[in-house]
Amino acid sequence: MTVPGWVFRSPVLTGASVAAPWLAALVVTSSRRQVRLVGCVGAFFSITASTVLVWRAPQGESLYETLMLLFSCLTLAAILLLPRRDAEAGNMAGILVLLGSTLLAYSTGNLFVLLGAWILSILPFLWTSWLRSRKWRPLVALLSSSLAIALAVGFMVARTGVSSISHLKGQSPGGVAAFTLLIVAAIFRKGIIPAQAWVADATESGPLVPAALLLNGHFGALLVVKLIVPLFPETDRLFPVLSYLAIATAVLVAIRALAENSPRRLLAFLALSQSACILSGLESRTAEGITGALVHWVVVAVSTVGLFGILRLLEVRFGENLSASKHLGLAEHAPRLAVSFVILGLALVGLPGTLGFCSLDLLIQGTLTTHPLTGLLLPIATAMNAVSFFRLFSRLFLGKRRTGFTVMADALPRERWILAGIVLFVVLGGLFPNATVIEHSSEVDVVDEAVRTLDNLNRAPGYSDNNLSMNARHLHLTTTSMEAPEVEHAQQRPTGVQR
Amino acid sequence: MNAFQDILILVVVAPGFVFAVFALLWLLDWVPTERLLSWITGLTFATCTSGVAVLVWKIASASNITVAFGNWFAVGGYHFPLVLMVDRLSVPFLALAAVLSGLIAQFSATYLHRESGFVRFFLLLHLFAFGSLLAFAAGSFDLLAAGWEIVGITSVLLIGFFERRPAPVQNGLYVFGIYRACDIGLLLGIFSMHHWAGTASFTGGFPTLTGARAVIICLLLLLAASGKAAQVPFSGWLPRAMEGPTPSSAIFYGAISIHAGAYLLLRAQPLLAQSRLASALVILIGAITAIHGTIVGRASADAKTSLAYATLTQVGIIFIEIGLGWRWLALAHILGNATVRTMQYLRAPSMLHDYHQMQSAVGGELSPTGTQIEETLPERVQLWLYRWALDRGHLDTILERWVIGPLLQVSAYLSRRDRARTLSTTTVRPDRPAPVSVAGPAQGGD
Repeated sequence: MTVPGWVFRSPVLTGASVAAPWLAALVVTSSRRQVRLVGCVGAFFSITASTVLVWRAPQGESLYETLMLLFSCLTLAAILLLPRRDAEAGNMAGILVLLGSTLLAYSTGNLFVLLGAWILSILPFLWTSWLRSRKWRPLVALLSSSLAIALAVGFMVARTGVSSISHLKGQSPGGVAAFTLLIVAAIFRKGIIPAQAWVADATESGPLVPAALLLNGHFGALLVVKLIVPLFPETDRLFPVLSYLAIATAVLVAIRALAENSPRRLLAFLALSQSACILSGLESRTAEGITGALVHWVVVAVSTVGLFGILRLLEVRFGENLSASKHLGLAEHAPRLAVSFVILGLALVGLPGTLGFCSLDLLIQGTLTTHPLTGLLLPIATAMNAVSFFRLFSRLFLGKRRTGFTVMADALPRERWILAGIVLFVVLGGLFPNATVIEHSSEVDVVDEAVRTLDNLNRAPGYSDNNLSMNARHLHLTTTSMEAPEVEHAQQRPTGVQR
Repeated sequence: MNAFQDILILVVVAPGFVFAVFALLWLLDWVPTERLLSWITGLTFATCTSGVAVLVWKIASASNITVAFGNWFAVGGYHFPLVLMVDRLSVPFLALAAVLSGLIAQFSATYLHRESGFVRFFLLLHLFAFGSLLAFAAGSFDLLAAGWEIVGITSVLLIGFFERRPAPVQNGLYVFGIYRACDIGLLLGIFSMHHWAGTASFTGGFPTLTGARAVIICLLLLLAASGKAAQVPFSGWLPRAMEGPTPSSAIFYGAISIHAGAYLLLRAQPLLAQSRLASALVILIGAITAIHGTIVGRASADAKTSLAYATLTQVGIIFIEIGLGWRWLALAHILGNATVRTMQYLRAPSMLHDYHQMQSAVGGELSPTGTQIEETLPERVQLWLYRWALDRGHLDTILERWVIGPLLQVSAYLSRRDRARTLSTTTVRPDRPAPVSVAGPAQGGD
């Protein structure tokens, strides 16, 4: 039996990957039976469709397909890691809606669809009882980001009459107003200073695993990759502000984490500080920085979903009032959870042998190239995060054995296989980075866009020779598949190239 | 690829492979028996030692052996070369790491018999051996840094080996903090090399750098080396690291880890030779550390701490030798110090028993040997020095008061502001239960 050709067309596959989780959410909400199974089936369909999309994507243009596959896999892992008490219909439907809308945002090339996906992704956090204590900051941040992007889209479409992103490339649609609104949307959604506090509030007061998925959609970074970099090449004077804010966020939140004793908040701070680095890498406009940022995106997503999942498993087993103010000695009860936790945490802060080492290496290299002084703060922030993480690990898992429990289960077989898979991903990804992620990331059109942006920037009057030569050196791309004409142009530029 | 290159790969990869296999199997709920683990460990390190012996024989007639695997990853103008290199500087360190790891493994099989963390210790020993062999066989500073970090993390995990007691765990965290802070120097040094010289590889000669750039890189590498080698002002972590099991103290703080800083400086010697300022600073730090170590060591009450400071004194002198450019003397000094200290550490737990035996043999107290140099000082100075030594040169106090304290204060201030805003604006709807706090009662302060 042969499969009809139309099945493999991109719109069909994209539609299937988005619709499957939404259908599953409907089924879960209406039947309220076999919730985990239905959730897994929905996520599995998304994974299958995304895998075919990655497989069929042209060489060097598979970034969004890869991100779709990553997020689908993460969602499946999260569903399987979800403790039984959390695997109820409301939670599962929310997770599936989040999955569908995130995939839609990744895959779309239309401004209105992106706006719709953006708003849909926060709906579960607005209508369900997820944010139990009604903390104002998550709601304000999510709504503000939605409002900002809605206004930005409105500006862009009103000025140009076009809603296709590919048709707007390089045109600065909506001018400075739209650009500023997009930056504001990215700041609110990503939790960049001054809107950084909502992330910890959301993880503290909301369901942990869905909150982790919400944060790891990285919509703020997506906005930078999808709209800000390709659409606004003329705003080179304003764009670095986002990088400075991101670096400031990384440092300030890292300091904030040093004295935090709530494991949920502490993990949220670590995730936020490390993910803020992504924006600075994207803004660096060097091939190293952008590739590092994209790989770091993957690392942060995978490791923080694993870390939050493990923390939730600990809460279910040992009580919801876990605190890092004293040693709890949980490693004796749950050694495999402890080992998975430490590996994923160290991957997040760049331990050699994990993918985090490669991503941070590239990211810091790129950022230091563009911002030699502020870039120095990134390794410092990462070092502080490492200390905070190790403190959390030692407080939760080491110390005198905690008594008063009757039956303490280590990772169940279902959890064990999922955690082993996540750990293997970050370790094998670190050992063979070219074979896994960097090969994809270094080819993406985002780098092309950065090159194009830089070409424009170099042509602008008043740009110093020193900067030009420095950037040109870093744009002397050696990746074999970088065959864009802009790259060749950059390589052939004779002036000021220092090797 | 010739046979010697294969052997070099085998020597470096073997412990890492054993670690990876056993760790994965353990994660999937399979625990090896002590006998099996000891046997495989013995076999692994015997293989490594034999391999290193062949490399030593080859290096006697050849300048170096290099294995290039291409780039680990390469993007834009940046590449991370995956290249192993053995030369006359690195082969003694490789030999030291392979032989001592094997000896420590054999010793530990008995020493830690039926200890609850037996498997964990052996897995970490394998990981440490892999990290140190990788660092010493690295053909670039990038790869050296990877091995360096692995050595650091295994060191910290072994300090907290006896995890039921709070002191080892807290000390492990302290050491981790110092390591991470100082490793920033190594990372920035490597980034600077890439930025200014285009490479951090030293297989084809050292990156050409002069003037201020050479000085900056030397100072950054010196920061990393000082942290790893517990030089002043970072010496405070060394006595804390003695909380780990004796075999790990022996190999980490008597032999390999403590001398890794000296190896880094020896590797960067061509660069160091171009910078008088950096060389002078290396000598100064070494001299201060040597004096600090010998004074504090005399007031240490326990055997392991006393040995740690004796090691520190020697490492300080080794730094002086490196600063003066006496490369081969420093190398010989490292080899001698490492082997003697390892033996002393391993004998430390049975030292009392040894003394009792000797006293029984001579039929009374052993006579004191010679005069201590501090006895020549005025009594008031002796008293002051004693107090100074008891507080280990006030280094921990200075660090806590001027670095850790202010950071924690800023963090606590931010935390208070955060919570004040949250509490003042948090509302609870009447139809919903009160917010469930997952935080402990003592937030915002540690």
